[in-house]
Formats: sequence, C-alpha cells, structure tokens
Amino acid sequence: MNPTALYRVSGTVALIILFLIPLASSEMGGLGSLVLSSYFMHLAITAFFYAILASSWSLLAGYAGQFSFGHMAFMAIGGYTSGLIGKFIRFTTAPSELCTDVPLLGNWWLVILNIRRVGTIDESCLDMAKAETLPAGTLIVFPPVWASIAMGLVMGAVFGLLVGWLVLRLRSTYLALFTIGFSEILRAAISAEIPITEGQSGLELVPLFPGGIAGFTSTSKIPPYYAMLLLFIFAMALMTWLAGSRFGLFIRAIREDEEAAAALGVNIVRYKVLVFVITSTLAAAAGALQGHYIGIITPNTLIILQMSLVIAMAVIGGLENIYTASVGAIIITFLLELLRTSVSIGPIHIDMTLWRLVFFGILLMLTLRFQRNGLLFPILERISRGGVAAETVSIRAQSDEELDEELEELSEEDEELPEEASEPASGTDTSAS
Amino acid sequence: MLKLTSNNIYKNFGGLEVLKDVSFSVEGPELIGLIGPNGAGKTTLTNILDGALKPSSGTVYMNGERIDTRPPYGVARAGLGRTFQVTRAFRRMTVLENLLIPAMAMRATARQRDFEEKANEVLEFLTIGHLRNEYARALSGGQQKLLELGRLLMLDPQMIILDEPFAGVHPRLMEVIYRYITETNAQGKAFIIISHDMDTIFTLSRRLLVLNYGDLIADGDPEIVREDPMVKAAYLGEDEE
Repeated sequence: MNPTALYRVSGTVALIILFLIPLASSEMGGLGSLVLSSYFMHLAITAFFYAILASSWSLLAGYAGQFSFGHMAFMAIGGYTSGLIGKFIRFTTAPSELCTDVPLLGNWWLVILNIRRVGTIDESCLDMAKAETLPAGTLIVFPPVWASIAMGLVMGAVFGLLVGWLVLRLRSTYLALFTIGFSEILRAAISAEIPITEGQSGLELVPLFPGGIAGFTSTSKIPPYYAMLLLFIFAMALMTWLAGSRFGLFIRAIREDEEAAAALGVNIVRYKVLVFVITSTLAAAAGALQGHYIGIITPNTLIILQMSLVIAMAVIGGLENIYTASVGAIIITFLLELLRTSVSIGPIHIDMTLWRLVFFGILLMLTLRFQRNGLLFPILERISRGGVAAETVSIRAQSDEELDEELEELSEEDEELPEEASEPASGTDTSAS
Repeated sequence: MLKLTSNNIYKNFGGLEVLKDVSFSVEGPELIGLIGPNGAGKTTLTNILDGALKPSSGTVYMNGERIDTRPPYGVARAGLGRTFQVTRAFRRMTVLENLLIPAMAMRATARQRDFEEKANEVLEFLTIGHLRNEYARALSGGQQKLLELGRLLMLDPQMIILDEPFAGVHPRLMEVIYRYITETNAQGKAFIIISHDMDTIFTLSRRLLVLNYGDLIADGDPEIVREDPMVKAAYLGEDEE
C-alpha cells in the first residue's frame, strides 16, 4: 500500500473510532463489556483541546519556525472574550436607560452591563432597569454561545495580527522573549482587572449547550465531546490543506531561510503575519470552546508551565508535522492521567501525583537529546519517505547505465575515426559527482 | 529588452563608506564579471541591487521602474534573481520543493503540479535529477550550488547575479555551472558574476566591473580592464603583467 493510501485508510479508521467512542460511554450504556467512564470522556475532550493547541503551535513553530510562547495567551483571549460577552452583553427589546444601550435593527438593543465594584453589593444596572425603566414584557436575551465563541475567534485573529506584525523582525530568542512578555502582561492584566475578569477567582462561562441538546443535559459529556472533536477535525483539515498548499511551502521556506525565500519572490511579511493570525484564531477557538465546556477560565491557564506543556506535546510527538504533534498531545494527555497512579516499590512509596511531571520532564529531555524530530515523526518519515533512497539509487544507476552506453558508442565511433580526431567529448557527462 | 541602471549609489555602515558613487547600467543579455579585493563592496552592491539593503543614497531602476525602494521579493518579481556567497538551500525541504518555491511565488494562482515537469527538466539539465526527492541537506556543497542555480531557472528572471558560483566546487560541477551560465545567457538572461577565480571570470565575461574600497575603478572589456594600471595596483597585482 502506498503511503497516501495508508494515510487515508488509517485516517478514516481513526475518524470512525473517534465518532463511535461516545457509544461506549457510561452515559450511553456502553458497548458490551466496554464502558467508558465520564472521566474518560472528559479526558478525551481535554485531549482534543490540547491536540488543537499542539498542532496549531506546530504549524507556527515547526513549519514556519516562529517559536512563540504566546500560544496559550491566544487561547485565553478566545476564552475570556467569549466569557466576557456572556457576562456583560445582553439583548433587549427596549433600552435599559441605566446601562450602555446600543440600538440594533428593529426594536432590539444591545445592552452593555456596568462593571460592578469589588466588595460592593451594587446591583447590576439591568436588574435596576427591570425595576425602574424597562417596560413590562421587555425581552432580555443572553448572547448565543456560538456568537460569543465567534467573537472569541475574531479577537484571537486581531491579537494574532497585532503580535504577528510586532514580531516581524524578531527571531529565535527575541521572539520567544517577546511572546513570553506578551503572555505575562496579559496574565497580569487579567489578574488585576478583577471587576471585569474576576481575577484569580476565574471568569465563569455559561455551559456549551445551556439548555442541553438532542436529549442530553447541559452537564452531559457527549455534546461537548462532539463539539471539540468537530473543531479538532476542522482545524486539522484546514491545516492539512494549508500545509499542502503554497502557504505551507512558503512558510517552510521562511523557516529555513527568510532572506533566500524573499530573494525568490516570497512575500515573507504576508506569510509570517498570516501564520500568526491563523494559528492564533485556532488557539482562540479551542480556548473559547474549552472555557464553555469547563465553565470557568482563570489566569492560571496562561502560566508558562501550561505553554511548556503544549510545546512538550508537540516536541515529543514531532514538531514538524501537525499530525504527529496532535497525536503526541492526545497520548500525553492520557499518559499524564495514567501516571497519577502512585506506586510502591518495597518500602518506597512514590506519589505519582507529584512525580509524574518529573517523569514527563525526563521524557522531554530524552526526546530532545536523542530524537529531536520527536518520537512519532520519524515513524511517519519512514512510511512516507522509505522508498526515496532506493529511488535515488535506482535513477542514478539508470543514468549511469545510459552514460556507459553513450561512452561505449563514443568509443566505438572513436575506433572508426583517425587517432587525431578522437579527443573525448566534453560536456556529455550526465552524472553528478 | 532588459535595462538596469544603478545611479550614484552610496552606502555607509556607520562611519564606514562601503560604496561611493557607484553608477553603471546593464542593457540586454550582457555577461558581466564583478571583481575586487575582499571588502571592496561587491556583496553590498549585490544586496542593494536585490533589495536586501537600501542605499544611503542613489537609485536603481529596472526597465524604467525604481527597484531600490522595493523589498527583496518585489525585486525578484521585477525580474532580478540572485544566489548567495554561502549556499542557502532550504535544507529541510526536498530538492523538488526547493525548485517549486520561486515558480509558485511568481504566479499567484498556480498549483505545484503545474511546475513539476519544468522542475524535473531543470534538475536533469543540472545533472541532479536523481536527487529530486531527497532533502536538500543530503546534497553535497557543489550540488547545493546547482540547486540554487536551478531555483533561479524556475524564478525565470531577466537578470541573474551569482555570488561566487565557482568557490569550493569540484571541476566536474564547475563544468555544469559554466554550461548553465553560457546557455542561460544565450537564452537572453543577463548575468553579473562575482568571482575570485580570475581565469574563469576573464574567459566567461564579456564586460568587467572592478570595485576597490567602494569605488568602481574600471568598467569595460576584460582584456582592456586587465591592462588598467589602477586595476593591476588594486587587485591583479604585478604578476598579471
């Protein structure tokens, strides 16, 4: 089977399995003796979340060579934007007159709620308006979750554009430091602006499906599983298309050598900014969806350890391929949970809840030392490029044979010519040194 | 027909004046050698022509359009391609991908498969067709130079600047590079070749520019330039007499 067919078959099988997994969940009664707990379903959703982050970071760092440490910041921008819209935005059929009212089409108004001071029991302006100014029967509608998530994506793209433009001339260490700085500033700002973001307490988000969907309650794991799976599939499809297009070709050329790429006609500014915008938007989408699934987002999601986790997932899987990065993320998410099981060796008790990160760190260090392309990427390379060396040798042997035949013909002709006219022909060499 | 004019180019790095009032023009498929001692400003001039550096003053026009204000990709699209003194192949990309990049960059709506046939022809011409699916990092230094030349054929510019194309290359590959230059030039592309290989540069070029500490001290027929006392004193030395 050729590599492309193998990828298609294995991809289809993987997709079918991923779509069927919820049937084996305890909520659905399981599949025979296979009953997957609610905890397993939660892990699967989290694994998809990290897979989107690791693969999009792989596109940014592995393909385009932009080693950004700000990916979790874009994730948080998506989550916080969606959460803040849910917290501060309402739609009404009459102006509140106590909040900030923005007229929309028809009788509808967009109402921006006031920011309540910390430690006070100020009523919300809308609560006061209900008692004082809003006519009876006025409809008050929460913004739909999908619209909040869409705004999260837009903000992710806007910040991606801004950061992408600001770091245009920065490389390696400077780019890393800049993006760490950006991430830390955002974390500090979110922590400080308690009236808006709730600070370290975390911003609550409405459930992904507030009223439930298709017979599932709002706390069911199955609808969020499919939502995150669909986002994961969409992200992978988009990135696969991009990686195989001129976009993928150009960003890899930029990774290899910006000046040389520019000298060959590649608009490096456009593609560097574009890769930031695309990957930031994907991270923001994952963040917004995860925020609504978990129900809360805190500034701790921006700590450097979280970013390091995403980087480690991509590096261990294989940084230069979105598939190995995403599979690495899925495996490591489950592995980190499996490693929570403490073990006793004789009198020594190892509390794995504490030690698992140490083992994870050691795995990362060993990967970087001995398998810089990750643990999965070399396997993929062996499958897709296994025949290249043999092909090179065979083409070379063929051209050598042709060359021998040409030389034989020439020497036969030489024998027929007088001696002084039989100088060897130059420029007929068709083989490389 | 190609017309490139460099008008009164000056370039300073801090207090160091690297190029001083350099003016010349190229008309049609000329084959020009650019020589000068180390530090003469050859690579700086190349970087200015290709848009990688902006001149401190002066202008560069190509076919009536000013190109010194354009970024390098704009200059490439205007029809000027170059190689670098140190080979800059995209090492973690295949040989074929290396060739597709300039072709794709030049045509906004093109697809990769539109150029694969041409890329294979270019690779065969350069005698590295059997390496098309190998990563560029697997190629020898000389083969990487050929790869750079192949990328220029895919870019299809009107003018090509080669920075030290013969440095550190095996004589058999030198033959290939020599053939590349003469045949591509015969097809109508102008060349500026920077080289310290005097035998090759005098044999190959039909016009010679000589830079010395930022000054363009000679511009003309190689045989006449060879006898120029200033050139002898600055670069060729008394042995050349």
